[in-house]
Amino acid sequence: MAQENLLVILPYAVAFLVFTATLVSYRVIFGPTLADRAVALNTATTKAVVIIAMLSLLYDAPYLLDVSLVLLMVNAVGGLIIAKYMEVRA
Amino acid sequence: MIEWAFLLFGLFIMFFGALGLLRFPDVYTRLHATAKCDTGGAISILLALAIASNFPVTGKLKFLVIAFMIAMINPMVSHAIARAAYKSGVKPKAVVDMYAWDNP
Repeated sequence: MAQENLLVILPYAVAFLVFTATLVSYRVIFGPTLADRAVALNTATTKAVVIIAMLSLLYDAPYLLDVSLVLLMVNAVGGLIIAKYMEVRA
Repeated sequence: MIEWAFLLFGLFIMFFGALGLLRFPDVYTRLHATAKCDTGGAISILLALAIASNFPVTGKLKFLVIAFMIAMINPMVSHAIARAAYKSGVKPKAVVDMYAWDNP
């Protein structure tokens, strides 16, 4: 019952989050330092996790939640490795 | 109706996080904006999806597991990036001097 109520706004919510991810990708491309790019990439990946969770509700496909969880863990490992690279290179 | 409130609140918070990432002057202030706003907005949206979904109990629980993992992982990565940025020589530009604001 509640799901059909929320499905009205959910495509617009996905489009809005894609728009904000596009705004963030400016900082990925033109960021002055490497730390700016790492921060922006972390933000964009979190937005992608939320977008995939929304799509799992929109398409009625619970297996997309596993994709979202795996992307979140890859984000954690990738962020820590980028931070370690910045620390070692200095 | 409460899921609409959670969803709209999360969308606005994530938009303000992206705005802070674009407009703030420094790496550390940008980290401050995105770490808070992104974590809070993502948890709010995932709570809305978990309340509204028709999935069985394991599916609803998976939304909450993702929200918990975001709450654990996102501050950890932000802390690591801030520490590495300071060690690699990026100095903070923004200075907060409230006494000078009040007494020019």
